[in-house]
Amino acid sequence: MPRMESKDQTSRLLVKFSKEGDASFLSHRETMRALERALRRSGLPLCFSEGFNPRPKVSFSPALPLGVKALAEYLEVKVAGPADVELARERMNQALPRGLEVREIRLMPMHIPKLSRWARYGLYRVERGEFGEGEVIHLVLSLAGEEQGRLREALEILGFGEIGSYGFSVTRVGIYPSLYEAVEDAGGRALYYDGKARVLRELEGDEL
Amino acid sequence: MKGKGENIENFLYGNLHKVTTPGRYLGVEVNSFHKPFYSSHVRWALIYPDLYELGMSHLGLAVLYEIINEREDSMADRAYLPWTDMQDLMRDKGIPLFGLETRRPLREFDLVGITLQHELNYANVLRVFALSGIPLRSEERGAEDPLVVGGGPGAFNPEPLADAFDLLVLGDGEEAVGDITEVVREWKKSPSRDRKGLLRELCRLPGIYVPSFYRPHYREDGTLAEVEPLEGAPLPVRKRVLVDLNSYPYPRRPLVPLVESVHDRASLEIFRGCTRGCRFCQAGYIYRPVRERDEEILLRMAREMIDSTGFEEISLTSLNSPDYTRIDSLAGRLADEMEPLKVTVSLPSLRTDTFSVKLAGKLRRVRRAGLTFAPEAASESLRRSINKGVDEEDLYRALHAAYSEGWRKVKLYFMIGLPGEREEDVEEIGMMLRRILKGKGSREPLVGMHFTVSISTFVPKPHTPFQWVSQLSLPEVARRHFILRETLRMKGVTFRWHDREMSYVEGLLARGDRRLFPAVVRAARRGCLDNWTEQFSFSRWEESVREEGLDMAWYVERERDRDEVLPWDHLDCGVGKDFLWSEFEKALRGEITPDCRFDACAGCGACQGEVRLRLAADGV
Ligand code: SF4
Repeated sequence: MPRMESKDQTSRLLVKFSKEGDASFLSHRETMRALERALRRSGLPLCFSEGFNPRPKVSFSPALPLGVKALAEYLEVKVAGPADVELARERMNQALPRGLEVREIRLMPMHIPKLSRWARYGLYRVERGEFGEGEVIHLVLSLAGEEQGRLREALEILGFGEIGSYGFSVTRVGIYPSLYEAVEDAGGRALYYDGKARVLRELEGDEL
Repeated sequence: MKGKGENIENFLYGNLHKVTTPGRYLGVEVNSFHKPFYSSHVRWALIYPDLYELGMSHLGLAVLYEIINEREDSMADRAYLPWTDMQDLMRDKGIPLFGLETRRPLREFDLVGITLQHELNYANVLRVFALSGIPLRSEERGAEDPLVVGGGPGAFNPEPLADAFDLLVLGDGEEAVGDITEVVREWKKSPSRDRKGLLRELCRLPGIYVPSFYRPHYREDGTLAEVEPLEGAPLPVRKRVLVDLNSYPYPRRPLVPLVESVHDRASLEIFRGCTRGCRFCQAGYIYRPVRERDEEILLRMAREMIDSTGFEEISLTSLNSPDYTRIDSLAGRLADEMEPLKVTVSLPSLRTDTFSVKLAGKLRRVRRAGLTFAPEAASESLRRSINKGVDEEDLYRALHAAYSEGWRKVKLYFMIGLPGEREEDVEEIGMMLRRILKGKGSREPLVGMHFTVSISTFVPKPHTPFQWVSQLSLPEVARRHFILRETLRMKGVTFRWHDREMSYVEGLLARGDRRLFPAVVRAARRGCLDNWTEQFSFSRWEESVREEGLDMAWYVERERDRDEVLPWDHLDCGVGKDFLWSEFEKALRGEITPDCRFDACAGCGACQGEVRLRLAADGV
């Protein structure tokens, strides 16, 4: 069992989860509730907020637009003591609606900044064809607010309709601290949408 | 047949992004059973004829869902009424209403169970038929169509909708669904599949009402002469009573809503029935006698529910939870056990007394929403006539207890239009508030306390001592609202009232008979979905009733004679008509009938044979 020794005995866990199929139609809020309830059943020694309605101390990666699938989303949770993360992962997966799945739970070393600090870029895979059998486009977006609008704008420039309509599908593949890592994961080449300037341009790993 | 399921699936994945809150239509909730749709199973679809957020909050259906799915010979799926954007899309693409888990049209199920929770849901019920394509009238359905089963409090006078139902369950459903399943299972194996024969068999089960086997005969003045049983159907139909609630400790693993719902928490039903005897309250008569669950069983159920759901709150539900014999012990133990899990324990209903306030304080809940008390009437004489055994002193004491516990927001419920109400009684509501706010005698004024006074219109309900009386006319309700608006104009008081036209339609359907069915159909076709306020239209109801040559006021405002045959007389909730009449007379005299839970049996008739009052402290 991985242990974490620190003065106050609290530590942070990073929970990586995917959101596919039916679950991609759950809103951010609904996803958070489902995960919180699964956390309550995980056996982890959660830290709770004070007050009349105590809630586990959890933060989530930035909201995902409705209808977009995701392979590697994150939540960060504060725990009050040693934790059996493998057992917790299994328990959570029994307590989640179909389509939501915990992939991994990791202890966060103290020097790693908070999720909200490093979750800066999202890599999206846009696939033509209803079942993802068509051409694949890699798209990187900044996650600093308004990503919902940005994704829509970028898709519009690419000539796609509303998220969820026939003919293509969108998956957020991962979340990264820097453009470089996002582009690298895309295979060294991706489109980057600059939301402020409203321009879509090609990025290559070597440039960065 | 196979193609249809796929159609629905394709439709969903191609359209879910277009509707509000698509989570309502996914059916992948934690603890959903997803049993296969084998034809060897008896296949139930359980319907709550309103939005997902309400349907998912309903305890009764949650219980039946588990009981049916745990059986080896049956399965249950469920559906709610889609929001209008989804309804439009479904109609456009020719998609019928479907079970959320199987994604199969309701038409393909053996049994479609619909709960009748409220009269203002009746138009919604007809919308369920319209969306599912199930023929509306029982007589129009053939061997391939599902049997449509009704249940819930509305089953005690389902007459305005009776033509739409093949059968209804009166009373507790826990055992009845099993009985029905067995009969249908055998019938499915029979070569002839004779529908009438099946109904004939079903109507012999206790608590089962098959409307087509009862023919009403009317007199010239429009009142009923008699209801004639056919095919050897029983008269009256006695309600089903679960003798011992401990034998059905459900739900165990309730569904966890995907979308934030009205009651997004675990509900622990601590007892059924209430014998306080408030004379306006239908629930207080049709669910008798009181049957408490044992404390240990409740604790076990609570643990199991929290373990299996991760809910952050558990609510002790019943018609009047502080009445539970061992409430202090139960609440304390539960709160202690739930504390390390950070699960809060809450109490939805409060009596008007200090005990309840202290209890609520101990549970540290409700604070956000504020406290609610229901004195129902402001004048002592009126409270006596409705058998509400609280006096103004009790209310003061409860309010002061609440005040010193730190509550600053209180909701007070009152009713207008109770039998015998005079103008002074209406004015008394304002005077009572003034006395409370000013402080009286040695009592401190409640500085900074804010009151919301919520006024509803009394609607006479079947199977109550007031089933014979007249409901207020619309202009009269308006006049009394005006008086209230004037007399409640004071600092620290907010005045709210129910829509008087909605209460009028509620009254029409509550005491309606079968002749109203075509009118309800018309109103529903015109788009009435009354519960969804923006879709309520009184003029459409008026037109619909008029076009059928009927008169709303005859149903709503007419006082009935003692001897009149009432449209629900053939449905027996256990409490006798003579008892109800004697209660009505006592109401007129302002006489109190004590609660048989704490006092002597009042002889209402609900206890018979094995069925009796059961208290947790009995140690049975
Ligand atoms: S029969 Fe007597 S004890 Fe039973 S519910 Fe009625 S009044 Fe109460």
